[in-house]
Amino acid sequence: MPHPTALMVIAALLFGTGVIGFLTRRNMIVMFLSTEIMFQGVLVNLIAMGTLHGNLQGQMMGLFVLVIAAVEAGLGLAIVVMMYRRLGTLDAEAWRQMRG
Amino acid sequence: MSEQLVYWAYGVVALVGLGVYVGLPKEGRPARGGLTLLVILAAFAGLAFLLHRLLGAAADRAAFYVLALLGVGGAIRVVTHARPVYSALFFVLVVLSTAALIVLVGAQFLGAALVIVYAGAILVTYVFVIMLSQQSSRSGDGLVSVLDYDRNARKPAWASLAGFIFMATLVGVIVERDWRPISDPAVAAMAEKNTLSVGKMLMTDYAVSVELAAVLLMVAMIGAIALARKRLPQAGPAQGPPPGEIGKQVPPF
Repeated sequence: MPHPTALMVIAALLFGTGVIGFLTRRNMIVMFLSTEIMFQGVLVNLIAMGTLHGNLQGQMMGLFVLVIAAVEAGLGLAIVVMMYRRLGTLDAEAWRQMRG
Repeated sequence: MSEQLVYWAYGVVALVGLGVYVGLPKEGRPARGGLTLLVILAAFAGLAFLLHRLLGAAADRAAFYVLALLGVGGAIRVVTHARPVYSALFFVLVVLSTAALIVLVGAQFLGAALVIVYAGAILVTYVFVIMLSQQSSRSGDGLVSVLDYDRNARKPAWASLAGFIFMATLVGVIVERDWRPISDPAVAAMAEKNTLSVGKMLMTDYAVSVELAAVLLMVAMIGAIALARKRLPQAGPAQGPPPGEIGKQVPPF
């Protein structure tokens, strides 16, 4: 069985890549895909911690993270569709006036 | 772990951040596909060495290397690709490789669930939404291949720098510390029957959480329907005869 440290490094890299994507991309769908990559990183980290502590708690938390990811994707995409209907573009910069 | 390894890890993280930066689409600068490939390959080489130092002589390390590089490379490509459909497809690659990685450490049930839920359900939703919302890219002279806001990243240098600092902190802490797994024979027996143990635990210790998750999913479903519903124009009186008049226009036999 591989050492969990390597898994944690992979998880950190996935999460960081997702952060960069979320900060810099302007297409709202790709921003949401970046959050999904962050979810993958969290999930891998939970599994690594679970193997480290030698119990199934990490996998349980991973399952519930999966549920949250499904909920987030559903609601987030519904909001994206609504915003696209309103302005006719997926550009996040088109909503600049919401900065306040 | 040695201090030298921490600096090596910083180098790998810097290469990953640089790879994302040069790969990000930005108008007004020359295409740098070759440079991007070179930087990402260098990051892969560094990551492979780091994993080699971390894994030692584990039996299945070859599979681990391949899956880790596929996952990280796929993630970089999701973020940097200018076409959202390709981003979604590269995300499938990320999901499959992470699922295989966690199957490798003994979480078979969660790996299968990941493939079914992510690659099967969530990705299909994403692709549907992309198809729904990219229709306006048709202009007078045919399809515009890549939209303007996909060609232009927003402040890629600052975002990559922030991501680099974040990843460097995380990876530095992870590599610096000596994580020692608890080796317990009971755990090894549990890992053999992973799905059975997970099922038992879900139905005993986590029964309330399962119910809460079910409620959450239903609320989200109702919310998504309510949000994305199209408001159709109300059927006015001009649409047809009122209910009391329905039979009156029918001619007799």
